[in-house]
Amino acid sequence: MSQEKFYEEISDAIVNLHEDKAIELANKAIGKNLNILNVIEEGFGAGIRRVGELWDAGEFFLPELMRGAKIMQDCLDLLIPHLQGGIERKTLGKVVIATIEGDIHSIGKTIVATMLRAYGFEVYDLGADVPAEKIIEEAIEKNVDIIGVSALLTTTMLGQKKVVEILKKRGISNKFKVILGGAPVTSKWVEECGADGYAGNAVEAVELAKSLLHI
Amino acid sequence: MLFHDWLKNDSKIILFDGAMGTEIFKRGIEPGKIPDILNIEKPDIISEIHKSYYDAGSDMCQICTFGSSSLNLKKYKLEDQIEEINKKALENLKKVCSPNCLIVGDIGPSGEFRPPVGNITIEQWQASFANQVKILENGVDLWHIETFSDIEEMKTAIKVVREASKKPIIASMTYKKTPRGYFTIMGDSLEKCIQILEQEKVDVIGANCTIGSNDMIGLIEESVKLTNNPLSAKPNAGQPKIDENGRPYYEYPDKAFAKDILDMINLGAKIVGGCCGTSPETIKEIRKIIDSL
Repeated sequence: MSQEKFYEEISDAIVNLHEDKAIELANKAIGKNLNILNVIEEGFGAGIRRVGELWDAGEFFLPELMRGAKIMQDCLDLLIPHLQGGIERKTLGKVVIATIEGDIHSIGKTIVATMLRAYGFEVYDLGADVPAEKIIEEAIEKNVDIIGVSALLTTTMLGQKKVVEILKKRGISNKFKVILGGAPVTSKWVEECGADGYAGNAVEAVELAKSLLHI
Repeated sequence: MLFHDWLKNDSKIILFDGAMGTEIFKRGIEPGKIPDILNIEKPDIISEIHKSYYDAGSDMCQICTFGSSSLNLKKYKLEDQIEEINKKALENLKKVCSPNCLIVGDIGPSGEFRPPVGNITIEQWQASFANQVKILENGVDLWHIETFSDIEEMKTAIKVVREASKKPIIASMTYKKTPRGYFTIMGDSLEKCIQILEQEKVDVIGANCTIGSNDMIGLIEESVKLTNNPLSAKPNAGQPKIDENGRPYYEYPDKAFAKDILDMINLGAKIVGGCCGTSPETIKEIRKIIDSL
């Protein structure tokens, strides 16, 4: 089987949400001593990107997106220790992500975290109802590139602005890119907050994170 | 019972209420709290809002208990107060309910998802809703189970209500509009939801929140092709914006909203009202239209 065909088979396993098949193919790649980095990028990566496209098109919904990302993650956990010759799968960047204080809605934030991970970001998910100060402390400690703040409620969106304000006050806003998400968030709100970007869904969030880091 | 009479009366369009949350914030309550706790902390404000909807012409209003199930309250560390919150919510509405108007028990989703999205079990859902329903049964005239995006969670809530109550049920799912039609974020199509809600023999099949009134017209148009059940629509007033004080506001004009509602009535909607961003002013505009029919 040609390598392209093999990559396609992997990608299909992800899109069809065939967990056993995906794991089997990951093990096969390891057994055959293939270039694991290429397998990840062109097989599994291509698959999860198609999952994202199907979500955008209204073909896939939350359960499919979460399952696809979970299968992808399980396969990555298998593959990464086998990256050859000390080559590490370069993380695209580090992200700390949280739902802001007063807001317990974690599902959108979790999806974004899962998709960012699936695409190759190193993600620290702090959960929901997290104070702005705590998010910033974690961002500094983990030396992240991007801070992602989610708010589902129009009433908690103010906390997103607070994150940007604290960064400014402490003179460290140039160290991080701040991205915002959540149902009521718009690009106008991002502008008003002085944040760096907004994404309407998890797939856009990945694109946004990449473009902010010039990837 | 009055509600059944309304349903049977072909010329009656039932006017529901509008939003609670946006009205609370207009009154200067600090954001970041679950509105349900205000039943205890600021009962007068909650009563005042209910009264403003009855005064605007609502036939029925729902008590402020959207988030008052055990699973939801637990996230705010308020589960110990479940009884007090729900009882006070009933009181707050009861004391302002107009004659010949009804009190609706509001049941919102648990906020927890089944695998693979979350980790909740059907049994946990059941227990959570059962606690709330048990407290409210002695006081409400009917139920509105609303804003659900998982039809399985809806089925669970319906079952729980049925076990404790013989009162009518309005079951409203929340849909988004996709290129392939109306679906919940869990992937349940409008067709599937309506079919299941028919099987569950709810009294009214509804949709609320997420979409604005303009998109809700299309949803009602689809729904009447799929069922003969009475239909309820409580759409949003467009999408929220934030003012310079950080408070949310909605720009969709009340008259345009009421005009959309008229389209829904003409298509066959039996119960109409508003969700996020609608106000007593919106309800007044709809009242005028209904009275002119």
